Amino acid sequence: MFSRILIANRGEIALRIIRACRELGIETVAVYSEADRDSSYLHMADDRICIGPPPSAESYLNIPRIIAAAELTDVQAIHPGYGFLAENAHFAEICRSCKIEFIGPSVESMRALGDKIEAKRLARAARAPVAPDSDGAVASVEDAAAAADRIGYPIAIKAAAGGGGRGIRFVHNEATLRTSFRQARQEAEIAFGDGRLYLEKAFDNFRHIEVQILGDMRGHVVHLYERECSLQRRRQKVIEETPACNLEPDLREEICLSAVRLAKEVGYYNAGTVEFMLDESNRNFYFLEVNTRIQVEHPITEMVTGEDLIKWQLRLGSGEPLELRQQEITQRGHAIECRINAEDPANGFRPSAGRIEAFIAPGGLGVRWDSHIYQGYEVPPTYDSLLGKLIVHARTRPEAIAIMRRALEEFLIHPTKTTAGLCREILNHQAFLEGRCDTTFIEREILDS
Amino acid sequence: MDIDEIRELVRLMVDNDLAELDVTDGESKIRLRRGSGGEVVAVPTAANAPPPAAAVAAEAAEPVADLIEVRSPIVGTFYAAADPESEPYVSVGSAVGADSVVCIIEAMKVMNEIKAEQAGEIVDICVKNAQPVEYGQVLFRLRVS
Repeated sequence: MFSRILIANRGEIALRIIRACRELGIETVAVYSEADRDSSYLHMADDRICIGPPPSAESYLNIPRIIAAAELTDVQAIHPGYGFLAENAHFAEICRSCKIEFIGPSVESMRALGDKIEAKRLARAARAPVAPDSDGAVASVEDAAAAADRIGYPIAIKAAAGGGGRGIRFVHNEATLRTSFRQARQEAEIAFGDGRLYLEKAFDNFRHIEVQILGDMRGHVVHLYERECSLQRRRQKVIEETPACNLEPDLREEICLSAVRLAKEVGYYNAGTVEFMLDESNRNFYFLEVNTRIQVEHPITEMVTGEDLIKWQLRLGSGEPLELRQQEITQRGHAIECRINAEDPANGFRPSAGRIEAFIAPGGLGVRWDSHIYQGYEVPPTYDSLLGKLIVHARTRPEAIAIMRRALEEFLIHPTKTTAGLCREILNHQAFLEGRCDTTFIEREILDS
Repeated sequence: MDIDEIRELVRLMVDNDLAELDVTDGESKIRLRRGSGGEVVAVPTAANAPPPAAAVAAEAAEPVADLIEVRSPIVGTFYAAADPESEPYVSVGSAVGADSVVCIIEAMKVMNEIKAEQAGEIVDICVKNAQPVEYGQVLFRLRVS
């Protein structure tokens, strides 16, 4: 096991990792930008180093500064959290070449799964169902038109180097294909430095079901069941829950096992998530992508399985074997997570930065609040708007919903505007209560009305 | 924080019968505690990065009008000279130009030459040779000419 690690991240996930490390007796080094100088979680770390001014490019994304800090403090490993450099294969490679372990999968699997075209090829090899596609990159508009005809509209133009909902354009007919294709290529070049595109069958609405997996360096892989993440706004998740509603045990098993097969196919180790699209009308599911990191919504899996995923990442990262057998892992009860963002839903979700003058966190049985914020905290405008995650766990889904409603009512924050009210609305909506939500639900039912 | 401000804080404590007062002003922090006999005890707390003992007072004081701070632009190890055999680039009293190299900061095996950025006289060297420094850490105080 490591004796000291560096956390190359900030906010709630940095705090989450510090907590796990303290429980395992691992010393922590927290890096921070000038914008995060007053964060209280820094005092929970054993050491803290300022690595730059507020802009991410000069701090949390700055590889030389992070490696310099790691070398200064003589750490054995770096935990990248999520976002920032977590899925940057180049960073993982540099860490390991500097004899610093990167807590995550191998560089090869990060590269392979980071290329969405290669990822689909691997999914096919692992016998995971994939949506009909262009079978590789599409070089020209003519090839795109031919592929689109074969696949059948509506189609999605996707960037090979994209992911996380970025670099996707939907095309409903041939008329708009040309322009969309050219624009998509340009955007991909600029955003990812890689203009390769492929085409895939698009689904007007589907459920987003993802599977948590853990693997060790000896090839042993298990799944920790699924999470339903259909409640999204602009392809960013708002509410997640587990188990997924109205999912037959056979189908659940099939989806989870195909995730394990894919992980084994690519020699995946540490924590990862395999995402799928579920077509409600015919119960077909299709591989979407693999996130080669810990996810924001990992706490709901922890609540129902009782496994601490960050601790597993630390153990697996230090080379320990995965001493979990699939038969030992069960789902108990129901867990829901609401992401609380500093955004103003009443004003186009405009970011709401600034000082939190008043704040009271909810509590009580079955309530978990994962957050770095506190009364007096200055929310910086420079980073993503996640303030914290409100998680509940109960024996049944109706009980979990009741607790979440009560917790959201207790939740007090002023004057910062948040998405807590939006979550409350969703939790009172009939379709949500009946477990009938797809990825267009929020925009369709809540925001348009 | 100067003596007049501290006197004012003490008055505030006595007038309001406060037992303890913690004040943070940028990088300087001070904690004042009233003893049982009614006396006030000043306990200055160190800033984030542990500075060498001799420089603590200088670290906590606010820069005087014509003094500027030369801060580290990167994370690394501070070296006062180009190599172990050479003389340090500067010492207290050295005159420097804007382009004068004042020290080396080593990061990932690369020796980065740090320039003064402004012409003047070195009045304070705030870090020790081979000390790890973070981004923004004060290296020198310079009286601008």
